[in-house]
Amino acid sequence: MRRSHQMAALFFLAVSAYLMWESWNNMEYYTPLGPGAGFFPFWLGALLGGLGIAWLIQVSGRSGGIEAGPSLPPRGGIVRILSILLSLAAVSAFMDLLGFQLVMFLFMLFVLMILGRQRIWTTLIIALICSVGVYRLFGRYLDVQLPAAFPAFLANLGL
Amino acid sequence: MDVFQNLLMGFSIALTAQNLLLAFIGSLLGTLIGVLPGIGPAAGAAMLIPLTFQMGPTGAIILLTSLFYGTQYGGTITSVLMNVPGEAASAITCLDGYAMAKQGRAGVALSIAAVGSFIGGTFATIALVFAAGPLTRWALEFGPVEFFALIVLGISMLTGLAGKSMIKALMMGVFGLALAMIGIDPIRGSPRFTFDRVELMDGIGFVPVIMGLFGLAEILENAEKPFAQMVLARMSTLIPTRGDIRDSVGPILRGSVIGTTLGLVPGITNSASSFLAYIAEKKSSKTPERFGTGMVAGVAGPETANNAHANGALIPLFTLGIPASPTIAVIMGAFMMHGIIPGPLLFKEHTAVAWGVIASFYVGNVILLILNLPLIGIWVQILKIPYGVLCGIIMAFMVLGAYSVGNSTFDVAVMTLFGVVGYLLKKFDFPLAPIVLTLILGPLMERSLRQSLEISQGSFGIFLSSPIAVVLLSLAALFLIVPAFMFFRRRKGVLPGDGEAVA
Repeated sequence: MRRSHQMAALFFLAVSAYLMWESWNNMEYYTPLGPGAGFFPFWLGALLGGLGIAWLIQVSGRSGGIEAGPSLPPRGGIVRILSILLSLAAVSAFMDLLGFQLVMFLFMLFVLMILGRQRIWTTLIIALICSVGVYRLFGRYLDVQLPAAFPAFLANLGL
Repeated sequence: MDVFQNLLMGFSIALTAQNLLLAFIGSLLGTLIGVLPGIGPAAGAAMLIPLTFQMGPTGAIILLTSLFYGTQYGGTITSVLMNVPGEAASAITCLDGYAMAKQGRAGVALSIAAVGSFIGGTFATIALVFAAGPLTRWALEFGPVEFFALIVLGISMLTGLAGKSMIKALMMGVFGLALAMIGIDPIRGSPRFTFDRVELMDGIGFVPVIMGLFGLAEILENAEKPFAQMVLARMSTLIPTRGDIRDSVGPILRGSVIGTTLGLVPGITNSASSFLAYIAEKKSSKTPERFGTGMVAGVAGPETANNAHANGALIPLFTLGIPASPTIAVIMGAFMMHGIIPGPLLFKEHTAVAWGVIASFYVGNVILLILNLPLIGIWVQILKIPYGVLCGIIMAFMVLGAYSVGNSTFDVAVMTLFGVVGYLLKKFDFPLAPIVLTLILGPLMERSLRQSLEISQGSFGIFLSSPIAVVLLSLAALFLIVPAFMFFRRRKGVLPGDGEAVA
């Protein structure tokens, strides 16, 4: 348990080092008019570093081991979490290419059937409402334009 | 114009058909979000922001604020009927609310909670009306020096009270400030931490960040276990007995004062208000041993305090420009997206917006009172929808909300990334609220610091030249030092117990 907290503290120390290095080397720290673009982030990095060290000392000390570490979810939970994240990553990657309607329809099919274990008709109806229904509603009545499919054969299908 | 004339003008704006409709939709959606597991008020409000782009600022803020206090009521429904708090602030209501439901008195518990919420919310709004003038006049004396000190105070109060570990809360505050540095430097115009991505030139969008931290992270946490169907208690008559009403009067009055007062303090969440109201009722009761067995006071006090807090917490936002909670930070972000900076100048430069929104709080509270009791049956039906379905629909709307802010799939990726970040931070018991508050306040804080140092030609002594700044910074130091001091004393075994501030 102590090890995971130490790793997390080291991660924040790395972020702190990056903030300080980047703001010192690639930004103006001070200008004739006053503090430059690097001034505030540099001191934020320093503060984060100080706090990270304090936390590292705290979790590495004798009482640090008492603090409960993060518990790993069961295997099924990990699969569900990764499935959600990968499907969202796929939505983000393919929405501009395949359009909102098709991507959201497939996303909802996946989430409802595989993760939610819903019946096929329930899944299809909800997936259609959340994809085609939302696309029409948002585009026509709320003036929020969602992406259409790029390939001509999909665009011709109204996707 | 005096307060009453301003308020009358506000009502003339809030009572237009369009604004009434927006308050109605906001209250309805807020209650729905409060009822639904896996989506909190901050993520819910963030999701709605893209839909407000086509509206004027008054309508947009009315929609979001009515959604905000709608969520407070929605959380109560699940606490009473399922023993599952929809919002953290309703957790304490489970004790007596669910016990009442098991006795077949769920309807009475919900009625008392609705009336208490209405009175608490109205009480806090009246406080806002009368506090607005003096606080605004005081804050108008603020220059960049005082404003910087005020933000430091807000952040230190938040982190000092945020949870078990002050170090972790401070780390999250600094992490949020670091995120706020991404984008074009507000004073010199040079890009910072953009990794050569055009999408990051305008900074990291707070809407996808909030939806990731508060929405997706919650769904990921729930996904650890198989999605289970929720079990509901049976509904009953909504009409309380004369004895119930008599037992509720005191708790509602006390809850109104507790919630409004604590709502003024940035960093104290409404769960602290409802918890303190519950303790106050237990202490003042002649039969404290009966609390937890279905006492009306155990529902009336906390629920009133919860809603009074939600409305009271808008006072620092409207008068000083300091958001007291993540959801209010989202509302502040919505103000800024419509070109309005909340704070002392709000009442001077955008009088109609400020008073229109304040008047809408009264209207929204009335709508919630009228709307919710007859609709309880519908909320119960919604709760019967399997979580797997709800979860899918919530994620679809999160994708939609994240995309619509900037019409960019990059924001969907940002939301996903921050879902992972939020999930991991929760695993390590980091408080998430400081990230959101400092993400919103970061640019204002940096600007006021740099302006102050430009005025003083680099001398930090300028922060000691203003009595207001000295007082504010001293208070900030106190908020950081006292919890640290308590922590070390506790480690030496001087103080018993945890002493954790309720976050």
